[in-house]
Amino acid sequence: MADPTRAFFEGLAAKGHEPLLASFSGSLRFDLSGGERTEHWHVDLKRGDVAVSHNDHDADVVLSTDRTTFDAVLAGETNAMAALLRGTVTVRGKFILLLAFQRLFRGSPGAHDELPTAGYAKGRR
Amino acid sequence: MNEVKILDGNTFVVSDEAGDIEASLTDPTGLFSFDTRFLSKWVLTIDGQRLNPLSVDDLQYFETRFFLVPGTGTVYVDAKLSVIRLRAVGGGFHEVLTILNHDDRPVTLDVRIAADSDFADLFEVKDALKKSGAYARRIDDGRLVLGYKRETFERETWISATQPATIDDQGLRFKVTLEPHGRWETDLHVATGVDAPGQSVAIPKYEGGSRRAKPNMERSLEKWLDEAPRLECDWASLNATYRRSLVDLAALRFSPVSLPGHYLPAAGLPWFMTLFGRDSIFTSLQALPFSAELAATTLTALGLWQGARVDDFRDEDPGRILHELRFGELTAFEERPHSPYYGAADATPLYVVLLDEYERWTGDTRRVRALEPVARAALSWIDDYADLQGNGYVSYKRRNEKTGLENQCWKDSWDSISYRDGRLPGFPRATCELQGYAYDARVRGARLARDVWKDPAYAERLEKQAAELKRRFNRDFWVEDGEYFALALDADGAQVDALASNIGHLLWSGIVDKNKAKRVVRHLMSTRLYSGWGVRTLAEGEGRYNPIGYHVGTIWPFDNSFIAWGLRRYGFKEEAARIAAGILDAAEFFEGRLPEAFGGYPRALTRFPVQYPTACSPQAWSTGAPLLLLRAVLGLEPVGEHLLVDPALPQGIGHLELLDIPGRWGRIDAFGRGTVDVDRVGRGRRQLGVLPQSKVKPTAGSRVHGH
Repeated sequence: MADPTRAFFEGLAAKGHEPLLASFSGSLRFDLSGGERTEHWHVDLKRGDVAVSHNDHDADVVLSTDRTTFDAVLAGETNAMAALLRGTVTVRGKFILLLAFQRLFRGSPGAHDELPTAGYAKGRR
Repeated sequence: MNEVKILDGNTFVVSDEAGDIEASLTDPTGLFSFDTRFLSKWVLTIDGQRLNPLSVDDLQYFETRFFLVPGTGTVYVDAKLSVIRLRAVGGGFHEVLTILNHDDRPVTLDVRIAADSDFADLFEVKDALKKSGAYARRIDDGRLVLGYKRETFERETWISATQPATIDDQGLRFKVTLEPHGRWETDLHVATGVDAPGQSVAIPKYEGGSRRAKPNMERSLEKWLDEAPRLECDWASLNATYRRSLVDLAALRFSPVSLPGHYLPAAGLPWFMTLFGRDSIFTSLQALPFSAELAATTLTALGLWQGARVDDFRDEDPGRILHELRFGELTAFEERPHSPYYGAADATPLYVVLLDEYERWTGDTRRVRALEPVARAALSWIDDYADLQGNGYVSYKRRNEKTGLENQCWKDSWDSISYRDGRLPGFPRATCELQGYAYDARVRGARLARDVWKDPAYAERLEKQAAELKRRFNRDFWVEDGEYFALALDADGAQVDALASNIGHLLWSGIVDKNKAKRVVRHLMSTRLYSGWGVRTLAEGEGRYNPIGYHVGTIWPFDNSFIAWGLRRYGFKEEAARIAAGILDAAEFFEGRLPEAFGGYPRALTRFPVQYPTACSPQAWSTGAPLLLLRAVLGLEPVGEHLLVDPALPQGIGHLELLDIPGRWGRIDAFGRGTVDVDRVGRGRRQLGVLPQSKVKPTAGSRVHGH
């Protein structure tokens, strides 16, 4: 069965550097509940260099939610900020880091592919 | 009804003159925080009777005192009681309720505060929508808790008092016995619980019995005023307008959740106390000579929220700067796209314009280097996502057709963009000022690339693009038979040929060919556009012209302030002074607080500026307008490490000094002299800018000093 969360973090770990986060340093932890246990993903960020681990060490910012919601965020079906306002997602710590990190989440699926601009065309490739 | 508004950031109270809140569709009063109404009812009665206001003291923008008396039914009987409500906002609000007995007999009173909340989203207040969640009330440890819950979304209002009260689910009741000439007092705490980022649900900030509200202002109003340049001027109302602008700007400061302790300008009170790309940028530009902090926070906050993906619901693209951020229920449930919404076509190029202007004033290269990726992504957005027609022009067409914005330029009402005959063009629309902003963004981006980012190849590329855009723009937008620039190009690339104030913004951006500037200025100062008070949004004689039409005939002080800056840019000093004169003179009629817009009637017809009926006030970029006009008339222009001063004052101002202008030079004083026609003094109301031509040559200067 597909595991979008694992795929996302493993993809990030494999990449090792994320240009969209190049101006940021700090640590983030994602506590994702589901079934019996809570899964932890820990991201160490140093000017865009990322190290991903599975531990529950302290972090500058901690995001807590359930797996279903987080998978939906990664798939672009739910918006992270809206989920936060709904209370489905909660955040403790340095919000600024999470604000930077959420750039990596996808947008909503839509009809933009029909637009003729260079940017959307790039997206199609 | 006169509304009384006090606020702290995005928390504000709108009440009647007695301090009561009784919200209805027509009276959108209440206590609001994070775009949610936390109190829709807050009514004080004594022995079942409402109280009558004697006076209201606006002590500070976050504090008001209401003096009240019970109604006696006749002016011949004096009231035997006085009631004082001292209210301050901050994380909810705090109210000291004092009752004084003036009788020489004791009295026993039934004092009642009726409270309720509909927890309406601000959007619901405006559109009267139905709620989907459930309400609950409870009495919890001596507090009345009003609650609303929809799935995991929870909001609560906690109400308590320091005096013993009987609490029921409709409010609080006090049995008060007052000795002859006695006094009774209680503190009322209303705390709002918001599940906002970095905040847990329902943290009542006023627990602990603190006597005074604690507005979340780390810097006091006094400090803010102290740090601003000082104005000295012989035109009395300008001093008042300047002070009003500074105080209102302080009130409109807003600390974003991502940057606690730092302030940027929100768009307007009360409905727009949030981060808006366009409004925050324009206001920051206006305020730069007076406070660079607003620009600094705006740049950082907007950079943090920069678009990173293609999202149709939010009209988001990589590199796009947001339009509006909201925290209410409709945004939370994705029924509205404001989390944030990106549907503005001007905010992204304007971001780069502000970044460059900020560096010119402050020399803060550290921030400009840190924001280099943001600026580059913004400039790439212009190339990759804004050119919807493939013709090299920035245009807009919303992808969210249900709740997105149709017009993504500053004139965002439905009928603002029209042909001469009044027809409305289809989409996409490429309005002219967007091309100006894109041109200016590239020119300024090039300067930053060369001087700060040390990337001359990128600078050259941007300059080439800018020059090419300017060349094509002056050909494609120029309306030959009218000799001005078209308002827009339509979906077919044809000219939307109405004459509008947008041509003034083109001067500000520098996209106008030198040989066309004089003709543009002639239009701006013609009776079709210039009313005597200012430049109308749409020229008289156009199909949709209406002197009280929101973007089709009214005069916007903000618009005029940028037009004045544009006139200066092309060397039209006297015309800039005339624009400044009209707007600054109009300000006197509004006690220094310029509204969002006022009527476009000819000045000779009305003698006073007619306020646009539903204008929001104070509005940030109207508040900023006098500041930018001061810059324009003093001719302040940072050049390298220096500030050039080249004043051209409106007729009627004899001397104008702006002292301690902050910037990369430390502090500089600027002063200018103008002329006053003494013959006219004492004959009716003196008017700015309409006196006969001067015979005395104006003088000017500046003075640098360290601090």
